[in-house]
Amino acid sequence: MDLAIFLVQLLNGLQYGLLLFLIASGLTLVFGVMGILNLAHGSMYMVGAYLAWYFFQGTESFLFSAVISAVIALMLGVLIERTLICRMYKRNHLDQVLLTIGMIFVFNALQSLLWGNDPLGVDVPDALSGSLHLTGVVEYPVYRIFVALFCVAIAAALYFVINRTRLGMLIRAGESNREMVECLGVDISRLYTIVFGAGVMLATIAGVVAAPMASIVPGMGEHVLISCFVVVVIGGMGSIKGALVGALLVGVVDTFASVVVPDVASMIVYILMAVILLIKPQGLFSN
Amino acid sequence: MSTHLLEVRGLHTLYGASHILHGVDLCIEPGQAVSLMGRNGMGKTTTLKSLLGVVTPRSGEVSFKGQRLDALPTWQRMRRGIAYVPEGRGMFHNLTVREHLQMANRPNDRGETQWDYDRVLALFPRLGERLDNLGTQLSGGEQQMLAIGRALLTNPDLLILDEATEGLAPLIRKEIWDVIRLIKQSGISTLIVDKNIQVLKTLCDQHVVLVKGRVAFSGNSQQLLENMSEVESYLSV
Ligand SMILES: Nc1ncnc2c1ncn2[C@@H]1O[C@H](COP(=O)(O)OP(=O)(O)O)[C@@H](O)[C@H]1O
Ligand SMILES: [Mg+2]
Repeated sequence: MDLAIFLVQLLNGLQYGLLLFLIASGLTLVFGVMGILNLAHGSMYMVGAYLAWYFFQGTESFLFSAVISAVIALMLGVLIERTLICRMYKRNHLDQVLLTIGMIFVFNALQSLLWGNDPLGVDVPDALSGSLHLTGVVEYPVYRIFVALFCVAIAAALYFVINRTRLGMLIRAGESNREMVECLGVDISRLYTIVFGAGVMLATIAGVVAAPMASIVPGMGEHVLISCFVVVVIGGMGSIKGALVGALLVGVVDTFASVVVPDVASMIVYILMAVILLIKPQGLFSN
Repeated sequence: MSTHLLEVRGLHTLYGASHILHGVDLCIEPGQAVSLMGRNGMGKTTTLKSLLGVVTPRSGEVSFKGQRLDALPTWQRMRRGIAYVPEGRGMFHNLTVREHLQMANRPNDRGETQWDYDRVLALFPRLGERLDNLGTQLSGGEQQMLAIGRALLTNPDLLILDEATEGLAPLIRKEIWDVIRLIKQSGISTLIVDKNIQVLKTLCDQHVVLVKGRVAFSGNSQQLLENMSEVESYLSV
């Protein structure tokens, strides 16, 4: 592998990893703070991609479709939490898994009903099309660089909210001792609605920004869900920092595996996960 | 219309099939300090959790400032002006001392702020030296101070303390008792669960002793002195 290819693949891996982080952060946040295992989280990524496609058809404006998709996602997340997830807090993980698997089927049926099963695509927005010269011969798509930077910005915003704001303090406190938070006069159910809504929005935004890079197909949600679980298990369930490190690891390893050992590439991240779990059974950054 | 600040009537609480509280009554008047005593496992903590709605009693009434609380979730009960320092101190493992205080801070239900960040740090100067430590990195006494400071920052009318001096060195205990006296003098009513009857008999105005989830003694400090041998028999192991 020459240096140019190596560099491009490294960028691809990092960019894919950052996108995975965007999705996995919501999954791990909802699990860490609320104790909810949401298998339908990947479906939110799918919903994001389809929404982006749908609004892009109508408006031809990527920015507009991104914003409106994010708003719809937030409302959808709040609705799902208030009607379904809120019944799960006192139940065990098996009940949560059954409910959220059911939600996957519902979302898949809706997708098939509303948008059909043919692969769809969204154009890269004009302002972000084209490539950037990195070195003499190496070019890299501007849009991928944009996605990477966008994910970094979201990660930074997430870090800021969780570590530097009162809302973040309450979220962390709720993660540590729910009962005590309520005993300080805080409405924890409102906090949970916010966290779940934010988690759904993160996955949906990931689907939106991925739409111009990926083909929009049925099953894309399940596929990304499995990758996210690998990320979250590697990083430590509930740890945002762990999700970031895990996502970058999975992104880079997966990308290089598909270039270097294409025949067994799909196995490599699971082997990575197994090795990490052998060394740290609770994941890299478990609490 | 009752003048009671807190009124608890006929509290029955069960954990699964085991019946823990058998009709507990408890009253606190504005400005009063009330002790709640009893050997380990007699239901003191369960009484507190039941009246706060942390556990759901099977039956019984809880009123605060003349209004029924029974149907309200815990957080709304606290918002009416109750603060709780739980057994074990209830630290958040991922919050610093500063964050423990900031996250709790709010005016009371009348919009007043008697207690703010600076006043709490003036009361507990040791916390001021450890603002950037995690709550769980503090010593037991410092954790207790943090739990009390955090409770005060909600500007309560009633402060509930569960075993606040448990497991502390004698000097630290004295510091905590001094603080509780100060809090009482500031006009906040207190409900104090503790083992130290020597301190409680002078500090508190009313006393309640639980035996196996029933009120075995209830009376003022005068009555407590008159019935000391009986009460001590309820408390001795
Ligand atoms: N979560 C629980 N589940 C079942 N039993 C409990 C629980 N908490 C307390 N108990 C039981 O209830 C009784 C009263 O406990 P508690 O109220 O904590 O007593 P105290 O605070 O007076 O020491 C004890 O017998 C204890 O074992
Ligand atoms: Mg107790």
